[in-house]
Amino acid sequence: MNARMLLALLRKDLKVYFANRFFALVTVLGLVAYTIMFFLLPTTVDETLELGIYMAQMPPALEALLADEEVVFYRAESEAALRQAVLDGEIPAGYAFPDDTLARLRAGERLPVTLYLSPELPPDFDGIYAMVLDEFGFALSGQTLDIAATEVTLGPDMAGQQIAPRQRMLPLLTVFILMIECLGLASLISTEIESGTLRALLVTPLTLGGLFAAKGIFGTGFAFAQASLLMLITGGFRTQPVLIATALLLGAVMVTGVAFLIASVGKDLMSVMGWGVLGMLLLALPSFSVLIPGLTTQWVKAIPSYYLVDTVYRVMNHAAGWGDVIGNLLALVVAAAVLMAAGIAVLQRKFR
Amino acid sequence: MTQPAILVEDLTYSYGQNLAVDHINFCMDEGEILGFLGPNGAGKSTTVKMLTGQLRPQAGRATLLGLDVARQPKQVQAQIGICFEVTNLYEEMSGVENLTLFARLFGARDFDAGALLKRVGLDGRGTDKVERYSKGMKQRLMIARALVNHPKILFLDEPTEGLDPTSAQAIRALILEERERGATIFLTTHDMHEADILCNRVAFIERGKIVALDTPHALKQAHGKRMVRAQIARPDGGLEVREILLDRPETAEEIQKMFAGEQVITLHSTEATLEDIFVRITGRGLA
Repeated sequence: MNARMLLALLRKDLKVYFANRFFALVTVLGLVAYTIMFFLLPTTVDETLELGIYMAQMPPALEALLADEEVVFYRAESEAALRQAVLDGEIPAGYAFPDDTLARLRAGERLPVTLYLSPELPPDFDGIYAMVLDEFGFALSGQTLDIAATEVTLGPDMAGQQIAPRQRMLPLLTVFILMIECLGLASLISTEIESGTLRALLVTPLTLGGLFAAKGIFGTGFAFAQASLLMLITGGFRTQPVLIATALLLGAVMVTGVAFLIASVGKDLMSVMGWGVLGMLLLALPSFSVLIPGLTTQWVKAIPSYYLVDTVYRVMNHAAGWGDVIGNLLALVVAAAVLMAAGIAVLQRKFR
Repeated sequence: MTQPAILVEDLTYSYGQNLAVDHINFCMDEGEILGFLGPNGAGKSTTVKMLTGQLRPQAGRATLLGLDVARQPKQVQAQIGICFEVTNLYEEMSGVENLTLFARLFGARDFDAGALLKRVGLDGRGTDKVERYSKGMKQRLMIARALVNHPKILFLDEPTEGLDPTSAQAIRALILEERERGATIFLTTHDMHEADILCNRVAFIERGKIVALDTPHALKQAHGKRMVRAQIARPDGGLEVREILLDRPETAEEIQKMFAGEQVITLHSTEATLEDIFVRITGRGLA
């Protein structure tokens, strides 16, 4: 296949894609809507404090204090439960008192308390924890207690670097915009199969390999351009633009492979949408683990889009560099290659 | 000796247990129009798919312009034009855009969309989207698309089916023009009249086998009945129709006696149609 043939096919795909009013509208509206959504999301973090506490036997005086305070307390059943609640993001911090707290207080011994902290707490809250602990002391004994507090931050310490919701949302929007282009490509191909136009193309000197190359370039290029545009508008390229662009390009190849798979099973727009939405939800799942930390567990790493989402999120919000995300990029290369190969293998059977 | 445009030897294809094309043999000379006739499911489309490189034969071989189509499908496809039975144009694009796309895929250098559209009677409509074309206009554009690379062999699958007489006549004229240019034309059709007036030879295919292959005239000679049909006035004022077979020793005497003793109102010679012959050979119609 020569450049002239390739250009003719790309021009045709562009024309046919935008001739479908649904996808033309979704393409433009998607970009606009996701951009607006990004800017509507708050740039600041809600600093209302919730605290957890674990104490085997709660003295009545402390019970009364917890009930009176405006600070919302979460009573954990065990230290492990308290730790998990912090880890899951349900509460930002929690105090674990030893099981023999009352005995130690009676003996006048020093009280070791473990303070579990979420990595994303603002530093301003440090003083509040000490103050709250002093309050506990007064409630328990009517005087300042000798408390040895040990702070344990669960996960990377993000003190002072809270991530605004819109920054958390951006990886999800990126996956959505890639998937919209994926659905468009899948619909384009399945329509061409059903109308017989692909059959007409394949009885010219155009080879099957040439056809896949043209579709692959069109799908990848279009998805990459859309995702890049979103990043450009939302400031996603401010840090490590080449790294972000590389991740987006690999993501675009990956969704093009998914588009080939969907096109091989979809017979019309409705079936493409049906399969496509299923794929979209699956690929969007890893984004929710970024949006709501603790929502998902390790299994989410089995979904290839996790490596795109994690890369974009960490580069944008944690100043990660090439060395930090090279594993993700390699995983994306493998996922993109596998999905593309699977898509081509399945789809070419339909062409024949 | 010039090589045949199409040479088919023991070509075979089956879909599972169903033998669609069963060891067929034929050849076509350059500039010839061959009508490929048969009922639905007889093996016409499978044959065309193998000849155009869309299906790989399971046995036998086909060479087009000296090229083995199974081994060199792309070289073959560069020199042929195909007009499919079902309209498969990019409806969202204009006529000119459709033709330009295919001209580029063929690498056609002296391609002139306007001239080609004029040839098929679509001048002035080239920039309209194909979705606004009538069925006849789409069919003419399909033929124009098959001609963008000046093909040496044209495959036309039911090119006039469902068209009004004027559009059908225009397409038949185009087919004859292409033959004048030197193109070899493989015509698949249900229309026996069309085959009779356009084709140098016709092949009847039935259950995957070619059951007859010759010129329409020779087929009629071999399988048809030549006769004269006379209308004779009866004494009661009515008319009697009488058929007298030709090619018999007693025919001349029979006709002479009829003219001498009876009042002959009309006398016409008749011959069998291709459809009659197809039914006679295969025992079934074309539907």
